[in-house]
Amino acid sequence: MPQNRWLSWLSPLLLVVLWEGAVQLGILNRIFIPPPSEVVVALIKGLADGSLLADVVISSERIALGFLIGAIPATVLGIWSGLNRTVYLLVRPLATMLYPVPKIALLPLVIVVLGIGEVSKIATVALSVFLMVVIHTIGGVMQVDQRYFEVGRLYGANQRTLFRTVALPASLPAIIEGWKLAMGFALTLIVGVEFVGASNGIGYRIWQSYELYAIADMMAAVCLIAALGWVITLGLDEVERLLVPWRHTVKESRMPLLKKWWGAVRPWSYTAAIVPVLLGAAIAAQQGGLNWLWLVLALIGSIAIQGGTNLMNDYYDYKKGTDTPAVKGTGGALLRGEMTPQQIFWAGILAFALGSAIGLYLVSVTGPFILWLGLCSVAVGYFYTAGPFALAYVGLGEVAVFIFMGPVMVLGSYYLQQPVIAWPAIWAALPVSFVVAAILHANNLRDIDTDILNHKRTLATMLGRSGARIEYYVLVGGAFVSVLLLVALGLAPWPTLISFAMAPLAWRLMRTAATEEAAEKLHPVLRGSALLHMRFGMLYVIGWVIALWI
Amino acid sequence: MQAAPIVFAQAGLTYPNGVEALADISLTIATRSAVAVVGPSGCGKTTLLRTIAGLERVSTGTLSVAADATRAMVFQSGLLFPWMSVADNISYGLMTRGVPLAQCRERARVWADRMGLQRFIDAYPHQLSGGMQQRVGIARALAIQPDIVLFDEPFAALDAQTRLLMQELVCDLQRQGVCGTMVFVTHAIDEALIVADRIIVMSARPGRIIADITPQLPDVPIAEKRALPAFNQAFADIWAQIRSEVELQMHEGVR
Repeated sequence: MPQNRWLSWLSPLLLVVLWEGAVQLGILNRIFIPPPSEVVVALIKGLADGSLLADVVISSERIALGFLIGAIPATVLGIWSGLNRTVYLLVRPLATMLYPVPKIALLPLVIVVLGIGEVSKIATVALSVFLMVVIHTIGGVMQVDQRYFEVGRLYGANQRTLFRTVALPASLPAIIEGWKLAMGFALTLIVGVEFVGASNGIGYRIWQSYELYAIADMMAAVCLIAALGWVITLGLDEVERLLVPWRHTVKESRMPLLKKWWGAVRPWSYTAAIVPVLLGAAIAAQQGGLNWLWLVLALIGSIAIQGGTNLMNDYYDYKKGTDTPAVKGTGGALLRGEMTPQQIFWAGILAFALGSAIGLYLVSVTGPFILWLGLCSVAVGYFYTAGPFALAYVGLGEVAVFIFMGPVMVLGSYYLQQPVIAWPAIWAALPVSFVVAAILHANNLRDIDTDILNHKRTLATMLGRSGARIEYYVLVGGAFVSVLLLVALGLAPWPTLISFAMAPLAWRLMRTAATEEAAEKLHPVLRGSALLHMRFGMLYVIGWVIALWI
Repeated sequence: MQAAPIVFAQAGLTYPNGVEALADISLTIATRSAVAVVGPSGCGKTTLLRTIAGLERVSTGTLSVAADATRAMVFQSGLLFPWMSVADNISYGLMTRGVPLAQCRERARVWADRMGLQRFIDAYPHQLSGGMQQRVGIARALAIQPDIVLFDEPFAALDAQTRLLMQELVCDLQRQGVCGTMVFVTHAIDEALIVADRIIVMSARPGRIIADITPQLPDVPIAEKRALPAFNQAFADIWAQIRSEVELQMHEGVR
């Protein structure tokens, strides 16, 4: 089952691709059903001029206020009714009676009483939240195993201590479950409320788009409220982790959220995503102007895809059991138990989705070539460690990285600026290909012993230690040799030779790789290779940029 | 320290729903003695324990336990609080009695060390194995320095080897004199013979006392004890007493 999980994100992707294709081929009428790329354009436009964001903020305020006004008294009353029979008998029938009434049906009544302003909108949300939370809280308190109270009493707890140490913590999971459900309801409700009597908010925007027949805008707004719902869910999950730490087998549950994710997505590995994009743009700039917006979008998209790849690698390495605590890998947030596999998985999906969204936008403005490059990149990023034929486990990791983090990315970035498939851009990408493959190989060289034990087939394990060392020299040396050749052949401008400033670093790395065998002694080679990639790559790009003025 | 023994005098207990759990129990448990109660399932062994704990009251006859005696209980399913760390679980009985937090923490640490739990002091119960959980349960009971410790089939859910280890642990703790008066309910006859000096045999429901045996076994390691002829003789005697009760229950189809 976990091995086949990729199917579950393939289907939404397939839907988007089919949808886009069907509209582009004219099977679907774009007047009624605009393609995803148009929706993305509408989304970016709406976000850029601030109007969409303003509506989200207003709706969020209404939800937040309604939720707090409803949930706080409901939680108190719910706990009280759960513990006190008299209060229970008074509250329960009323709550169960009102609970099934669709709250939106009460909106006109609320408007009659409170007027059509903000108050009635918030009150409707609050009422719905209140009932939901009361019911769940009562249930939560009453379902607490009575034996826990017995244990508490036996060990000398009085009523107050029992409440604090047994009733409250034992019912908390159910109470939070109620909060989550209520929040879902609030989200649904606010849209309905804003359909009717509002002049702003996300629901209003959806309805207005419908009246103006701006379907793409409507879908953009729907996407945004879905995103809002997703963010709120994440937030409540975090609240749950904070209040109910015993529910999750997380040893370092107190680790700050940001720090955890920082470790999981490995932003320091992003030079691999940034350098080729900059290089492609710099090469294209030799032929003409530069569209800065597209360059920035390409950078963000590339970083998102890289982040998604990192997360997916962690997920599948963890699932396949190839990363063990012995491997002092760059990721390993899963191994240290800081995050659940599900969190990593879905964050990876989200990162891919963001990358895809930006990609689709760029496709809509530059043409389908980028789409093909993007689809191939996503596929390789995914099948790098996932699926039955994981590239990293059959010795093709270096090859995949060499091609995709070099020529493919450079060409993509180049194509955005100059819509032709230019061989010079592909050749010019080779030095970057060599150093990026060297990073991966340094990793495999370091892990060669554990990988052999785990039957993880990398080029390093297949070549053996001495062969793997030679491969490292070839990759690092190849970077410098390729720069020389490119300049000699006139395929790269001479200022790119400043990248030779990194030759001493490269020499030191090769020396270490030649002499050391222990994994912890080889770890600096990995870090050094990443550093080499960043510095060498940036100098190489700077060489291209300098050439613009010469 | 509590001086008065635990005394049942013609005590019986009938639940409001009419089920008669205990009948005509007359029993004196001496201070600081170790008594095991065996009997077929559902015979009222646990009910007997709960009356001593003060969780149930006898409906006929009397039960007298010194009013100031501190009582602690170790439960079959552990019943640790899942929302508390091992340390907080161990020191729970101290915390409810108003012992300052720092001292609670210190006592928890001492008991965790003693039970081989030092590495798990900040873990939550669900992260522990069944045997470890029961160690926490025992530590929670003993941390309050109880006059009476009640064991309610504490090792029934553990695997055979872990059970042996836990029996050794209980014997050790008893030798160290931290268990006060111990009443140990079990359905395993060998376990009763290992942890207790005196064994009360109960009948099928309503629970009555059908035998009161004090086998004179030397204080030797468990493995040796099990090999003694006297051990096997006592085992056979008790089994002979219980066998017909178990059969009776089986035919009646009572739980």
